[in-house]
Amino acid sequence: MSQIKRESPVHFGVSPKASAVRDNWTVALEYDDEGRGPWIVDLAYKIRWDLQDSNIGELAPCDLAVPAAPGQSVLSDGILINRMNRTQVSIWHLGADTPPLPEETGYTDTSESTVLISLFGPKVFQLAEKLSNLDFMDPAKAAPFLLQGPFCHVPCQIVTLQKAADGSGGFLLACSRGYGDSMVHAILEAGAEFGLRPAGESCGEGQGHPHKAIKSL
Amino acid sequence: MNRLNQLPTLRINPSEKLTLSYQGKTFQGVAGDTVATALFAGGVRIFARSLKYHRPRGLYSLDGECSNTCMDVNGVPNVRTENTLLKNGMTIKAQNVVGSANLDWLAFIDKLDWMMPAGFYYKTMHKPAALWPMAMKRIRKAAGLGVISADYQMMGNYDECYLKAEVTVIGGGAAGMSAALAAAESGQRVVLLESRPFLGGCYDYRMTTGADGQPLYQRARELAAKVEQTPNIRVFKHASAVGSYTNNLITAFQVGGPDDVFTERYVEIRSESVIVATGCIERPLIFDNNERPGVMQVGCAHRLARTYGLLPGNEAVFSIGHDLGLEAAVDLFDLGLKINCIADAREDGQNPELLLALAERKIPLLKGWVATEAHGGKSVEKVTLATLDGGINRHFACDLLVASAGLTPVTGPFILAGAKMSFDNHTGYFLPTELPEKMFPAGRLTGVNDPAAIEASGRLAGLQAASAAGAELDAVVADAQSDLAALPGPERGCKLVTAPVKGRKSFICFDEDTTIKNINQAIKQGFDVPELIKRFTSAGTGPGQGGIPGHNLPLYVAKCTASTNTPIPTTTRPPMVPTFIATYAGYNHHMFKRTPMHHDQIDDGGIFRNIGVWQRARYFSEDFDCKEEILNVRNNVGMLDGSTLGKFRIHGPDALKALQRVYVSDMSKVKPGRIKYSAMCNDDGCVIDDGVVVKLGENDYYFTTSTGRAGQTVEWFRYHTRFDGWDFNMVNLTDAMGVINLSGPNARKVLGKVVDIDLSNEAFPFSGYQEFLIQNTIFVRAMRLGFVGELSYELHVPASYMKAVWDMLKEAGAEFGIRNFGVEAQNVLRMEKCHIILGQESEQRTNLLDVGLGFLWDRKKAEAKTVGAVALRQAEKDPDRLKLVGIRMEDDNRPARDGALIVDNRVRGYVATMRKSFTTGQAVGMALVESQLADIGTRLEIYEDECNGVRLYARVVKMPFYDPKGERMKS
Repeated sequence: MSQIKRESPVHFGVSPKASAVRDNWTVALEYDDEGRGPWIVDLAYKIRWDLQDSNIGELAPCDLAVPAAPGQSVLSDGILINRMNRTQVSIWHLGADTPPLPEETGYTDTSESTVLISLFGPKVFQLAEKLSNLDFMDPAKAAPFLLQGPFCHVPCQIVTLQKAADGSGGFLLACSRGYGDSMVHAILEAGAEFGLRPAGESCGEGQGHPHKAIKSL
Repeated sequence: MNRLNQLPTLRINPSEKLTLSYQGKTFQGVAGDTVATALFAGGVRIFARSLKYHRPRGLYSLDGECSNTCMDVNGVPNVRTENTLLKNGMTIKAQNVVGSANLDWLAFIDKLDWMMPAGFYYKTMHKPAALWPMAMKRIRKAAGLGVISADYQMMGNYDECYLKAEVTVIGGGAAGMSAALAAAESGQRVVLLESRPFLGGCYDYRMTTGADGQPLYQRARELAAKVEQTPNIRVFKHASAVGSYTNNLITAFQVGGPDDVFTERYVEIRSESVIVATGCIERPLIFDNNERPGVMQVGCAHRLARTYGLLPGNEAVFSIGHDLGLEAAVDLFDLGLKINCIADAREDGQNPELLLALAERKIPLLKGWVATEAHGGKSVEKVTLATLDGGINRHFACDLLVASAGLTPVTGPFILAGAKMSFDNHTGYFLPTELPEKMFPAGRLTGVNDPAAIEASGRLAGLQAASAAGAELDAVVADAQSDLAALPGPERGCKLVTAPVKGRKSFICFDEDTTIKNINQAIKQGFDVPELIKRFTSAGTGPGQGGIPGHNLPLYVAKCTASTNTPIPTTTRPPMVPTFIATYAGYNHHMFKRTPMHHDQIDDGGIFRNIGVWQRARYFSEDFDCKEEILNVRNNVGMLDGSTLGKFRIHGPDALKALQRVYVSDMSKVKPGRIKYSAMCNDDGCVIDDGVVVKLGENDYYFTTSTGRAGQTVEWFRYHTRFDGWDFNMVNLTDAMGVINLSGPNARKVLGKVVDIDLSNEAFPFSGYQEFLIQNTIFVRAMRLGFVGELSYELHVPASYMKAVWDMLKEAGAEFGIRNFGVEAQNVLRMEKCHIILGQESEQRTNLLDVGLGFLWDRKKAEAKTVGAVALRQAEKDPDRLKLVGIRMEDDNRPARDGALIVDNRVRGYVATMRKSFTTGQAVGMALVESQLADIGTRLEIYEDECNGVRLYARVVKMPFYDPKGERMKS
């Protein structure tokens, strides 16, 4: 029998320098020559849930209060909760733990539905504005916050984690898994002028940039 | 030509030499040159020939306001060489010439202008009718601009970016920069667009000093440095605004420099507030031969010297209507230009300091005079000046005539945004009377010309814009208003349009060779509205986008028609500045969805086609009839990647009600462990989707849709339950689950080697549903289906495990000769079984009953208000609807094409799908025909495209064509 292995929809075209196997995923820890940023990291292996309920504002998934208004996010202990609309939130487990899906019927495991990537580093939002007209740096919003709209013409959920006036910072992007290849290709092409490189999960540890926010969760 | 290399205002680097080739010669320019200035430095004075008359044309505005310098650059025609920065090795060609720009054999057409009155194109050579096609070809050959090869491939990289800003400033002159700095003080995001490759606007080349004694060019550089050092101001140089839309959406394009990765970049800015600080262009002075090479605008002559170090001529005459003309004359005189005379259309109002400067230099000035004719063949040799009434004439020899009637504001962004425009009698400008929301004017376009006032108006606009975008600046705005009020206000402008001439060779539009005489002809023919005259004479419809005639045309028409109405400018449309279509196209990312097996299927020889948003393997060999793929499924076992199928979970207290609403069947009858096939209709009863539903738990279901409908399914449910207030939730799992369709008589044996469940027909029968784990790890939803008419298992597995399961089945099936089959093989297999594909066997008007799916419709669930049920009740009594039938060709070796028409003396239906069936050896298919033709045995006549009158014939036969009792798929 073939070895059981999980496949990410993201293909960077290069093999990682260091990797680890978790829950049958091969997680890239580091790539050769990751450069000085910006970076793109494949987080397809992170657990994502969908929670829907007509009284969602009164629920406390993972012991966290659901953000009050659509577009708001809350990030705590590696759990990112994004209020999508009146009745729905997405819950992304960015930490190392892979908790079991709660038994309440409102939960659906949507980890396989989307590709999840992290983009962060210098000029990352200048890269983003080549592919989307969403306002990643909206001064009226405090990070983290959720944007729902097209990125490279594909409907996405995007969470700005950190932003600075010079266009640096970081965000997470989730789109339909099927678009993974096209999306990564488009991002790498658009990011070439900024030196965008694939990076592993360990990238940026201790450097104080946004990916640390993801890594340390 | 020697350059003035030491001027502090230069924007060139004389030490960096660049070359270009033109007419077989190599010309040398320097970094910072445009193509046109490099050619000018090399002695070129005639750059192009005009559209109709092939008149010689030279430098005129230096800002691309007309087609005078449109040339073919590196194979791209109609490039405005005045605005195109020189790059080393460029190849330049003249266009619309027979011979060369200097010696054009079609120049004689200039003498035939009497044959081409206004609107001749609409009126002459149309009778007899056969004449026009011939005439049109000749006219088009003789007239026009550049020609592009149909095979030309656009080179370069075309980028795009979408910005958000609180304040966008259009125009990087002194006012624009002041506005940007003021707006940025509040911390807001500011975007500044400047069409030239450098900031500075009308300050950039001027030595005149401001109130503090600082030359304007120095002030411009000081402001530019501040702007570029301000972190929250993003500066886009060489970026022209091309559109301005409601809600302050601004579009622009930026030309890439040597260090940029793009050739051109489309820029779209969604801004809270917009400041228009586009300044003014010069209003052309209209006189005889006013476009002869050697005639140029004030700014063109001045910038040639100050920006590019090129004296525009040796001996000049000026005919101007603005102090900028006097200022340029003084400065150019000091740089070595001999000036024989200045005719100023104004009787009075000149700046006394400038008059004194002219007197000190002994430059003669004639007040109330104007140029009436430029003499000379290919360039200016002499000028006639006259009093404004034409009573007195004088002649002056010269090789340069600097001519300008005055200024006109660049108001395109206001007009595009819907501002109401009106003529202002004091300034002589068309100005907005009602500004669009959160749009503010700044700088010279408001009529101010005093440097301090220009900057103050910019600062005020910047603060107002920031305030409108949310900053609390009321007190600061009030102060800025007071500051501006204390400075000189808008100046009185010159309103002269034409010199006292008859106008046969006085051009109001250079691009279209439209003269004053043409305008008069149009007026005599009854046209009295500038918009109509514009279209009838084509004035202002050329590449200059109305820059030359935009102001003069409505004023001239108002004067000639003695109109009492206030003239208004003619329309402006995007793009305000011409650019490449490639720039608008931007990136060419192909955004397609791919299944988890995409790359493996490529390795297995898959040939892909785009199907909706997906790329799918349609064939697995060059045999597009897919014989081997089909027979392997019929006789052995095959695997299809069906991951594109729509997959959804619906749950919540009212989930069943929602299913009952959109599905035609009674969904309360979905049993655990069983699948239910059903369909959805629209309100007209037309079938829009089908799929299977399984019950996961109480008010918890999993269902599939067709690939094409997956993206709309959630909206469809929500829309049709929008008034009910039902509590249900939906999750789109289309991408989450990969789907493997394992089909064929050996399917059970293969699957049995991979899973640990009982696969016997009793334990897992046809229409059964099971959930299990593979190797205690991979969760699988399995369905016994029979779309292709064989024993089939549809395995829904998590997308990340899809490859693992696929490989297991492949390995397990190796001993049976398992192989892939693609979408086309599936299409034939299911057609043999007469299982329909919606969209293939149906179209927009096909209802559930037409395609024989009426058995799915449960008529007893009236309380569900099933979508389409009312229409279906009416349709089932209608005898005239199309009906889906099976057909077989009389010639089994000649299947009809999909979509072929079924006819007699009219269209009676069409072939939905037809193939040569390798299983039955027959050419069979399905067709939608009028019910009168639906009886078994009816002979059908088939018309195909390009059949040359030869019809094909088929007969209606029983369906299905294969395994009519379904024994194979149920066994």
